[in-house]
Amino acid sequence: MELSGWDAAAVCAKAITYAATFGAAGAIFFLAYCGSLLQEPQRSRIRRLIGTWVLASAVASCARILLTAATMSGDLAGMFDMTFTRMILGAGEGIATGVRMAGLALAALALRPSPRFQPLALVGAALASMSFAGIGHVHALWPSVAPSAFLCLHLLCAAFWLGALAPLLITARDRNESQIAAVAARFGQWALGVVTLLLGAGAILLWTLIGHAAPFWGSDYGRMMAIKLLMVAALLGIAALNKLYLTPGLLRGQARAFVQFRRAVQAEMVLGALILLITATFTTVTGPPR
Amino acid sequence: MLKQAMLAAALSGAMLAGPCMAHAKLQSSSPAKDAQLTEAPKTLTLTFNEAAQVAVLKLVGGGKEIPIAVDKNAKASPSFTFPLPALAPGSYTVQWTAVAADDGHVTKGSFAFSIKT
Repeated sequence: MELSGWDAAAVCAKAITYAATFGAAGAIFFLAYCGSLLQEPQRSRIRRLIGTWVLASAVASCARILLTAATMSGDLAGMFDMTFTRMILGAGEGIATGVRMAGLALAALALRPSPRFQPLALVGAALASMSFAGIGHVHALWPSVAPSAFLCLHLLCAAFWLGALAPLLITARDRNESQIAAVAARFGQWALGVVTLLLGAGAILLWTLIGHAAPFWGSDYGRMMAIKLLMVAALLGIAALNKLYLTPGLLRGQARAFVQFRRAVQAEMVLGALILLITATFTTVTGPPR
Repeated sequence: MLKQAMLAAALSGAMLAGPCMAHAKLQSSSPAKDAQLTEAPKTLTLTFNEAAQVAVLKLVGGGKEIPIAVDKNAKASPSFTFPLPALAPGSYTVQWTAVAADDGHVTKGSFAFSIKT
């Protein structure tokens, strides 16, 4: 597997698009199920975070298309070659990016404090998260309807989990111990079901992709998938630590549990970012073996 | 009952899905890779494993790039044939970049052939 500078830049843009889209969507979901436990200054900070993520996702989505065009020619001129851009958009990226932009526009309604806009913002968050299913290896399967439905579920659950981490950290920063305990407990209740769905859908997708190719794990795609699975296992370990030890500690008011909870959330954020980066890499520069 | 039936249908649908093609790979070409020709070819044909669009095509011979007309607006297809100018004896390298029609992934490759005197 060869990776040019333009390939690396396109991969980074894709990883940022994932992170920003999931960040915005997950924060909108977080406000929906934990908003009532927060104070207005905290909700306001999370809304500003949503605004930043929405903008970052839109910019990174456009940058990714231009950088992919640059990978085609291997130089800067490719970015401005409209025929390259047209080819990329015509091959499915156009629909996926269009759906994401429409979702982000609706998600931006979450910036308004009025709860009137929350249902539309939730729809937008879901659309933006699922837009990645409009293009890629799963989309290229035939028939793709059922695998795409599982991918949509996988993406929604990933947005729910990874996108909740920054709002959790914002909440934890305020050192309001009873509030952090309540928020962590509420998140934990939802996360249990969501993570089960995330892993179930991921396992079905993995089986669908490798079921036809015996040498899967020996390929570049398989090796990177194995690294991703190891990171997911580590992330699950931290999440289990949060759910089984730290959240009960928070509810009992243990001072040590608050420090450990913040560190655990930060560690989850780092692992989450690495998982998105490796996913962006193997979905861009390699393909499942046939 | 309905939920279980829907889940069973979705699982069956996922498991019945055919192999993922994704990423256009060059299956064959004419002239073939490392071919040693006695006559200059009049055309260059690239055949991919799936429908694709050719974005970049370069033919380099004697250290110089030989222009080949590529219709970037052509519809996606598994096979493309390009007319070649009169080629002198020597070694040539073909460099190509294609975009897979079904998922937009970009693939690149190159191969060489030579024309003997």
